[in-house]
Amino acid sequence: MSLTFKLMRPSTIVPLSRRAALLPISAIALLAVAGLVAGPSPARAGSLSEIKARGYMTVATEDDFRPFEFVENGVATGYDTELLHEIGKSLPFKIQQTIIPWAGILPGVTTGKYDIAATGVLVTDVRKPAFEFSSPVAVSTTYYATQAKSAIKSASDLNGKTVGAQAGSAMLANLKSFDAELKAKGGPGIAKIVEYPSNPEAYQDLAIGRLDAVVNTEINLRTLIKERPGVFALGQPVAKPVFIAWAMQKGNKELAKLIDDALMATRKNGKMYELQKKWFDTTFEDMPATSD
Amino acid sequence: MTAHDYLSIVHGALATVSMSLVSILFGVPIGLGLALIRWSRLPFLDQAAAVYVSIIRTCPSVTLALLIYFALPEVGISLDPVPAGILTLTLSTSAFDTEIWRSALINFPRDQYDAALSFGMRRGLRFRHVVLPQIVHGSLPALVNEMTLLVKASPAVAVLGIVEITRAAIRVGARTYDPLPPFIFALVLYSLIVFAFVKTQRVIERRVAQAGASQ
Repeated sequence: MSLTFKLMRPSTIVPLSRRAALLPISAIALLAVAGLVAGPSPARAGSLSEIKARGYMTVATEDDFRPFEFVENGVATGYDTELLHEIGKSLPFKIQQTIIPWAGILPGVTTGKYDIAATGVLVTDVRKPAFEFSSPVAVSTTYYATQAKSAIKSASDLNGKTVGAQAGSAMLANLKSFDAELKAKGGPGIAKIVEYPSNPEAYQDLAIGRLDAVVNTEINLRTLIKERPGVFALGQPVAKPVFIAWAMQKGNKELAKLIDDALMATRKNGKMYELQKKWFDTTFEDMPATSD
Repeated sequence: MTAHDYLSIVHGALATVSMSLVSILFGVPIGLGLALIRWSRLPFLDQAAAVYVSIIRTCPSVTLALLIYFALPEVGISLDPVPAGILTLTLSTSAFDTEIWRSALINFPRDQYDAALSFGMRRGLRFRHVVLPQIVHGSLPALVNEMTLLVKASPAVAVLGIVEITRAAIRVGARTYDPLPPFIFALVLYSLIVFAFVKTQRVIERRVAQAGASQ
């Protein structure tokens, strides 16, 4: 992660982040039960040869994670969806896309219901042993946003303020670490951290003044500010950047290789950066070839 | 919110209503069957039904849906989202319905049963003409109550990718960054559905009362 930081030009150190950790408790329970029931069962997720034989790859994407993936007039769209269609042109099989909520995505990949989750998954240390990650498709940094007329001018101004974040998210964890940092520097720290089931509710409370700031990924916040001009303003980073990549079942290296080659091709022909510009209003041109 | 957004939530309402109705259609009779098994104290089956009810009651609908959808393929049973969703809701509601039917059976006056017996009515006849009409009447409020709870538990199956009212509203809110209007609209739709259930219950009760008066 520190590597990423160095690799990026100052102007592009604007990663985004993703609610990371809802990695549902249910998923863990589920896996435990699945393990009990089935023991070492044959993985259902296709190896590359199986995917080729069946002629299509099953892909899970999300429905409420703008600008990465969302549904507009009944049609899936967003950065990941468009990037997926782009690489689909060069893949030797069809893509069968399923749109499901975040809570079902990672369990669906671990249990093999889907071959790949083409959604903005934060590559965290906890997840690395559990999934095969593609090369990065974006970079995430946790930022805070305030009301446009806010007196908060720098991250240290968050001392004594009320800040919101999505419950169970990586950004909430970042905020808590940042709070500890503020306290370590002798400040009073953040007065109150409010947790929300989803981000739109936090934005709503920020707009009506119940919160002084909301933390989320830079990309999400930039999109928000673009959508609601004059209401919100982007603040500063409160954590280091993290990669965002697509997740596949652990050990499915052949598929990962194929996806990586296709993704790298979109970097070479500039298509990936075009899509980043379109959806994130910024580009990440210095990402390494692997998410490790 | 655009017209398409409203339409998508109404479309979600169709999913909510149809999945709930199918689950009720299966769940209520299954519940009655299990309650009768418990009432008649059939050896082994009685205990099995009690265990079934206890396990399902402890299991949150979301967890149950995830289990059915993601864990069952491990033992070779792979269901599509809609059947998996219906199975989830049916299992869940049938457990609660069992207890509703059972409490009506427990409260059923024994002397009426004995009277039917003394007239030489057969088991099937006894049940259809003496027991069932009365336990239906007694259980109806609790059954409809459970049905309205089922409607409100149905967003759990959204985790499988089924777009019902709440999920449709979340999608709209995620697109517009303004979650309040879609959620209020969703609430209105839930209210209408629950109102329809309660209204149906009232109509049935009134009919039964009139039928009783005219006899």
